[in-house]
Amino acid sequence: MNQDRFARRMAGMSTSEVREILKVTERPEILSFAGGLPAPELFPTEELAVQARALLEEEGVRALQYAPTEGYLPLREWICERMNTVWGTQVTSSEILITSGSQQGLDLTAKVFLDEGDLVWCESPTYLAALGAFNVAMPRYEEMATDQDGVILDGLEERLKKTPPKMVYVIPTFQNPSGRTWSMERRRGFMELMTKYEIPVIEDNAYYEVRFDEVEYCSLKSFDPKGLVISLASFSKVLCPGLRVAWVAAAPEVLSRYIIVKQSTDLQTSNFNQMLVYRFLKAYDFDQRLGRIRDTYRVRRDAMVAALEEELPVGMDFTRPAGGMFVWLEMPEGVDAHALLQRCLKAFVAFVPGFAFYPEKGRRNTARLNFSNLPPEKIRQGVRAFARCLAEEMEARQPQAALSAGK
Amino acid sequence: MADLSHNPTLGLRLDRGMEVPLFRQISQGIRRGILAGELKAGLHLPPERLLARALGVNRSTVLSAYRELKDEGLVEGHVGRGTWVLPSPSTTPQPPSAWQPSPGPRLSAISDPLIRDLLDSENPDTVSFALGVPAPELVPVQSLAEILARLPAEVGNELALHSPTEGVPALREALAGYLEERGIPALPREVLITAGSQQGLDLVARVFLAAEDTVLVEEPTYLGALQVFRRAGVRLVGVPVDEEGLQVETLEPILARVRPRLLYTQPTFQNPTGAQMSLPRRKRLLELAGRHQLPILEEDVYGDIRYEGPTLPSLRALDSSGQVLQVGSFSKTLCPGLRIGWLNGPASAIRQLAVARQTVDLHTATMNQWVVQRFLSEGLLTRHVEKIRPEYAARRNALLEALAPLARLGLSWTRPQGGYYVWCRLPDDIPLPRLAAEAAREGVAFLPGTVCSADGSTTRHLRLNFTALPPERLREGVARLFRALQAARSQHREGKIQGETHQPLI
Repeated sequence: MNQDRFARRMAGMSTSEVREILKVTERPEILSFAGGLPAPELFPTEELAVQARALLEEEGVRALQYAPTEGYLPLREWICERMNTVWGTQVTSSEILITSGSQQGLDLTAKVFLDEGDLVWCESPTYLAALGAFNVAMPRYEEMATDQDGVILDGLEERLKKTPPKMVYVIPTFQNPSGRTWSMERRRGFMELMTKYEIPVIEDNAYYEVRFDEVEYCSLKSFDPKGLVISLASFSKVLCPGLRVAWVAAAPEVLSRYIIVKQSTDLQTSNFNQMLVYRFLKAYDFDQRLGRIRDTYRVRRDAMVAALEEELPVGMDFTRPAGGMFVWLEMPEGVDAHALLQRCLKAFVAFVPGFAFYPEKGRRNTARLNFSNLPPEKIRQGVRAFARCLAEEMEARQPQAALSAGK
Repeated sequence: MADLSHNPTLGLRLDRGMEVPLFRQISQGIRRGILAGELKAGLHLPPERLLARALGVNRSTVLSAYRELKDEGLVEGHVGRGTWVLPSPSTTPQPPSAWQPSPGPRLSAISDPLIRDLLDSENPDTVSFALGVPAPELVPVQSLAEILARLPAEVGNELALHSPTEGVPALREALAGYLEERGIPALPREVLITAGSQQGLDLVARVFLAAEDTVLVEEPTYLGALQVFRRAGVRLVGVPVDEEGLQVETLEPILARVRPRLLYTQPTFQNPTGAQMSLPRRKRLLELAGRHQLPILEEDVYGDIRYEGPTLPSLRALDSSGQVLQVGSFSKTLCPGLRIGWLNGPASAIRQLAVARQTVDLHTATMNQWVVQRFLSEGLLTRHVEKIRPEYAARRNALLEALAPLARLGLSWTRPQGGYYVWCRLPDDIPLPRLAAEAAREGVAFLPGTVCSADGSTTRHLRLNFTALPPERLREGVARLFRALQAARSQHREGKIQGETHQPLI
């Protein structure tokens, strides 16, 4: 019986493949496209420390005591204003809960919505760490197919009629891992379906503001007459990851569940960190800082896309993201990304095989490449090495694939 | 103890105001009776219909309670033959290892939002004994600000970035040193940094507990732990606490009956009673735990705040067989707002907890960890604790002195040698709900004992915190409490004359 318990629990909780890969890539000689880390030099360490000190000197002990679980009100109000002006939503501060990173938003979601065996729909591919949070509840997953415009709506209604999911989890904007952004039409159509069948929608907006190109999008919350959308977002990508300040936006009756669960999970997110984020947002021009992050990543995205176009063998399909941190690569059938990774590591390049981003049936010929964490010249260097390894791999392992790709 | 078998209600007292459902109150009451030997093997429990009528509940409620007891192997029942108490099994099978992970999730039952309400800012005119917070004026704001000023130069960019799930290595090392000073030879890999001790409790429940497991808790105990356990859907069995802490002697018969997955205890200056477990009891508890393969979750957040008496080794310090996981925090010694706590235990358990932690919220805020790392490694915490101890001792003394006249009203209370709280017991003629209403009118707040109880047996208690308020406010608060007690008593008496029934207790 104990073995039984062990196996089931560990199926949901084991040290993930990506975690293992990330360990290898911590070695300084490796050019890593594997992580999802922001560029370290973009973060305002000095300013944060200055503000943190000033916060303690001005607010004193107020910043160091317990505070309400919902979070620091001025920060929640700032978030509302931002969402309502930039995200196309109409939320009030009573619809915002501050969380310790958006990972906690996912974890709370599992606690609020999921029981063992419940059905969750997600995109194919999707963000695997989210599934890590959901796995604790031992749900079942079904994929929704995607293309360059996001989730493909054809056939969804039939599935909804037959076996509706308990909830859906989607990343409509600058998706991790694919870098894709849903078109407005898809967003509207998707929400019409979800509204009709009253399915809770978990919208992960971790990359929402990390935009390089002009592209039209808005939160799914703006097509949400029934209050079904739970929107998760974070300051990790746009301000600083180490502070662990993020939020959940949801209708009050949904949010109250999150608050109760959050309370027994960790009482509250550090009041000090919340007040610090707010102070920082007030002291500096947020959009200007965001502009700097966007400019930096745009240059890196350009470098990666250009290098891939130049270096990769013919027959490869990869995304050209308008925002976010990742390019998604589809190689010819028969190429095994795991074998490719072994080859790449010997050439001191790393990436994440795409297999792990599929909850149902992984595709072994896919790869996720991160571009936010390396300067352009390193990206070019890394892509060159990657392309060389890929050519060798196709040659060595799958002469058929190499041949057909060359046609 | 009265012979309960001839009592049509089995001596059960139901509280409809409680969060615990009625069927659970019934099963808990009967379980307590069986485990304490008051309901002997072979005894027939009243037929469901009769007990339901005697208690004024639906038959299905009693049915659910009996079913739960059957599932636990405490009673047996057959149609036409009734329900009777089973003898205790002669041998207890030994689980292979103390820290076995359990299958996940459940988590549909949602608990009360009481802590949250308490954390909400209150009316400033109210004197509140309700919160468990440090004195605001003693929090070392200035030295924390100074640490922050130099951290960017000393640590660099890392300060703003992600850090390992297990914690910033330098903090884990500093914490290992801190634990070593307290008699716990910990390695950094035996330590996991958490966002406060609440998260530590939540992680332990998540990794090691499954719905329907039995967990032993002190009666009364910390309400935040009860919330975690209730949400995990476990069965709680309360073990009474006296002035020497958990009554370890009562454990043996319980362990012969049920096989708990975990025992949760705060041996040092327990929340809410302030009691300290004596050394003989600590040793006896560990001996029992070893024999029965009972994992212990020890929470130690008040241990440093000692006013008198000898320093006793923690259970973790006494533990030689990896039986004890310890959860701790700096919220009570330094400040709550940085949210830094830890788990300390066998490396294998810590590893499993870290894996779970990654899906929960990745890691504890990096900058906060560095601030506390400096505060620890530069000896500032030791100095700070030396500073707050005499001040809190003076506050405790002020509260105890101020309470003295309330003895006339029949109030009694504990005299803690450390920690944050005094635990009071009301006389029988002052019901807690009445007092709560009067206290609100007088402008004084406290934590009602009911929320600290797993089985609802502390309906006549209140917890008073003395660290958050200066002595003159403590005295003012007690004066208000005095008036509230008087008002509650006279109202209660009038109520009796008018024949009112305030509480549907049986």
